[in-house]
Amino acid sequence: MNKPNSAKTSLAWGLWLVLWLASGLAAPAQERPLSYDLKVELLPESATLQGKETIIWTNRSSDYIPDLQFHLYWNAFKNELSTMARESARERTISRYRPKKDEWGWIKLVSFSTGSGLDLMPAATFISPDEPHNPDDQTVLRVELPEPLAPGQTITLNLEFQAKIPRNGLRTGYYRDGFFIAQWFPKLGVYEEGRGWNCHEYHLNSEFYANFADYRVQITVPGRMVVGASGEEVAKVEDPASGKTTYTYVQQNIHDFAWTASPRFVKLERWFRGEEEVRPEEYRQMADILGLSPEELRLPEVRMILLIEKQHQHQAERHFRALRAALKYYGLWYGPYPYRTITLVDPPYRTGSGGMEYPTLFTAGTSVILEKDVLSPEQVIIHEFGHGYWYGMVANNEFEEAWLDEGINTYSTGKVTDQAYGPGRLPFRFNGLPLSWLLGLPAVYDWQLGRIVSAPVAELDPIVTASWKFYNSMSYSLNVYYRAATCLHTLERLLGEKTWARIMRTYHLRYRFRHPKTEDFIKVVNEVSGQDLTWFFQEFFFSAKNFDYAISSVETRLKPEKYRGLFDNLPGRNSSRNRAGSAEKSSSTKAKIYQTVITLRRYGQAHPGPGHYLKLRIDFEDGSSEWRNWDGQARWVRFYFEKPARVKTAILDPETIWLVDSNLTNNSYSSRGPGAKLLSTTGKLVWFLQHLLLTFSGLL
Amino acid sequence: MSLRTYFTPGFNRALSRFRLSVYVWLTLLALALVAIAPINSLLRNSFSHFYLTDKPSMPFELHLAEVFLANQEILGPYTGFLLTLVLLSVLIFAFLSAGLFGRMLSPDPVVTFREFLADGARYFWKFILSLLLFLPFLVILFILFRLLIAPLNLWSSRALTEWPVIIAANLRMLLLILLWTAFKLLLDLARIIMVSESKRVIPAYLSALRFLKGNFLGLWGLYLLLGLAVIIISGIWLLVLRLFPAGMVPGVLAFIILGQTYIIFRVLARQVFIGIEYAYYLRRKGA
Repeated sequence: MNKPNSAKTSLAWGLWLVLWLASGLAAPAQERPLSYDLKVELLPESATLQGKETIIWTNRSSDYIPDLQFHLYWNAFKNELSTMARESARERTISRYRPKKDEWGWIKLVSFSTGSGLDLMPAATFISPDEPHNPDDQTVLRVELPEPLAPGQTITLNLEFQAKIPRNGLRTGYYRDGFFIAQWFPKLGVYEEGRGWNCHEYHLNSEFYANFADYRVQITVPGRMVVGASGEEVAKVEDPASGKTTYTYVQQNIHDFAWTASPRFVKLERWFRGEEEVRPEEYRQMADILGLSPEELRLPEVRMILLIEKQHQHQAERHFRALRAALKYYGLWYGPYPYRTITLVDPPYRTGSGGMEYPTLFTAGTSVILEKDVLSPEQVIIHEFGHGYWYGMVANNEFEEAWLDEGINTYSTGKVTDQAYGPGRLPFRFNGLPLSWLLGLPAVYDWQLGRIVSAPVAELDPIVTASWKFYNSMSYSLNVYYRAATCLHTLERLLGEKTWARIMRTYHLRYRFRHPKTEDFIKVVNEVSGQDLTWFFQEFFFSAKNFDYAISSVETRLKPEKYRGLFDNLPGRNSSRNRAGSAEKSSSTKAKIYQTVITLRRYGQAHPGPGHYLKLRIDFEDGSSEWRNWDGQARWVRFYFEKPARVKTAILDPETIWLVDSNLTNNSYSSRGPGAKLLSTTGKLVWFLQHLLLTFSGLL
Repeated sequence: MSLRTYFTPGFNRALSRFRLSVYVWLTLLALALVAIAPINSLLRNSFSHFYLTDKPSMPFELHLAEVFLANQEILGPYTGFLLTLVLLSVLIFAFLSAGLFGRMLSPDPVVTFREFLADGARYFWKFILSLLLFLPFLVILFILFRLLIAPLNLWSSRALTEWPVIIAANLRMLLLILLWTAFKLLLDLARIIMVSESKRVIPAYLSALRFLKGNFLGLWGLYLLLGLAVIIISGIWLLVLRLFPAGMVPGVLAFIILGQTYIIFRVLARQVFIGIEYAYYLRRKGA
């Protein structure tokens, strides 16, 4: 490892101290019981890392802790028997991990001791904490301590490690001399008081969970490399003798650290300035909604760093625009971005790290040819930045409740994108060429697409399911991202914009730099809305139930002028008989009366909770309208109307409150149908098939 | 000799037998309607009373996607149905090709449906056999294609940026199309010889190969030139088609009419190809 000279090192430490104090993240030591001091060198020729690590951890619980547990994530890429590889092999459609001979990745400890020099290597064993147990997995290391760590006691650990970078692992990898390095160092699990270590294996469908810590990381790379990393660069020391450069990065109060190095990066910087990005009336509007003063919403300056591949450099301003939008709206809605920098990485080509979040750094892949109205890479940038809020700061356990960040952030991404860009055209590429314009694909909002794609998995798994326990990758991703987001959109529409905005901000700020669970989110929803919405979560998050209401039929007939049969002349019947009789006499002078029966059905198992209804609006041909409410508890209901006109249209849930309804197409009735639209669709399909057949005939 | 030497008689022959395009178009339309029937039934059931408001909650295309996703269970049976139809189409298209070549190469310019069917029946087995005999040539095409794209694959696999990957992918596609046209010439020519000289299949192939030995580049050039013209006209046609608003009945009707006219144009283009290949063959076979 290259040693920086001492003067520059002192300067670096001095700068670090100043930045730490100025960052606003400087909290009393007892609030951050964990720190990582890492020194790592990248050896590009062998695609390996040589690392040294010092971890200082204080037991803040009241438990006596007999052991420590660590993530050694890169062992997931070590062989075909790791939990991740086994899960990958089970997937038939996506995510298969198939490295070639030299492309496996691993991490191993060279030494492991306490600060006092006690060797812990003999006490280290791999464990498999998750069901089903996999004795071959080596992604969780347990180290038995010579004596339990007492409450309040601090332990210092010194580790040396070597790691082989997986060629194209999930979220990390290398190609030629471009590297994206994530989940790369031995990392302490999360100790939960009374429950022990929460330290899961590396799973195919899961992301991560870790404690907030202070990081100081020295990265040594060949001098030609351009480097980006979590946190702020506080020193850069070049060693002409070896041709290597050592960068030092520091950041407080983050729970992960990633970095990247490539000679093909162009590094660009811009500033986000709240007073330039947010107009005074926008501050006022948001302040009104949130019940705060505009001053409380002021957004701070943030240094935006973009590492973009040279081939994509022409898109740099497009990237910055999306990042500005994200900083603005996440900041306004949920709370100001608390760090001084944000680094956006267009990941090195073919490193398998297309879109992923890390504290103060995220990746967002792009393509060399883009269409203007397809919002890619914008949505990826907004989404991955948004994870700085949801998971980065509000740090839920992604292994166990991934929806808390993925679902909330997918919801947030859609809102920001809608606000900043409006709908984006559906993407379509062939042979690397964007062809959406040619096919005339429609522009859609994120929530529109999200509710469509997530509907088929509604009955497969509950949204609140441990990530590795979903039926498959498809169910995992569609449930935790899109179905959860669709449910949140529904909740927003049920509660109204103002209440919802307050819920989201309260939840974010209350759990910023903490580890909330689904129950915490529900508590905030109930508290801020003043309603008990636990039923909503039971119905849509903890159960795998489909929600589908429909207008089953609309039957209209002319009211008979007279009724056949025998009628008793009983009190109470006279009027009706007389009515029929009189209708007979004066039928020519009276307007026609239509009897309409509208049947609504509930096809799914899910239904609205107490006090909530589905609305039905019926418009008649004479211009009049009727409204009905249905609590949706029964499997069906009928509404009866007698009007001097036929039904023109009927719409169930006309305000589209219940976005979670898996089929909105059966929510309406029109006596005419969609007419030209359907004809156009059929005409296009026939035309398309004729083309296919003609081409096929040409082959013969 | 100028291009007109081949184009004029080729065009004239095709235009004087325009009815053939209509027969083929009608068959294609019938087949497409049969293929679409289950989907159409699903759409009719799902949308017969659907109400698209002035401010819809989502674009109509997403409603279509919603209906298909909600009825995924039909995908399996429908795919089976389509595969059956495709297998049936092999026979139907062999018959249509036989009829098309038969009438196109007949000295009698009068075309009736009865004669078209008669030619289809007369040459049907010969066309099936010519197709089977074409399979070994397809294997050669595939091997040649693999050899030719090897450098492209290597270039693409070592790429440091996306450009080589995109360029290589599109060059591969272009190469496949070019190779296909070259091999398709052989099949067309064998059929022309089979019909015009009443030869059996293998002798027709041998004659075609002999002919191509000295005339391949000229004929291929004509073929590619015509293909380019069809692509340009198709591009313009597609742009015009996009001008019609899909939400209004007049626009939809215009789309349907122009779309169907375009299908007829494509069939006619096929006739022109045959006509020009035949004209070229007649002119050059003695040379």
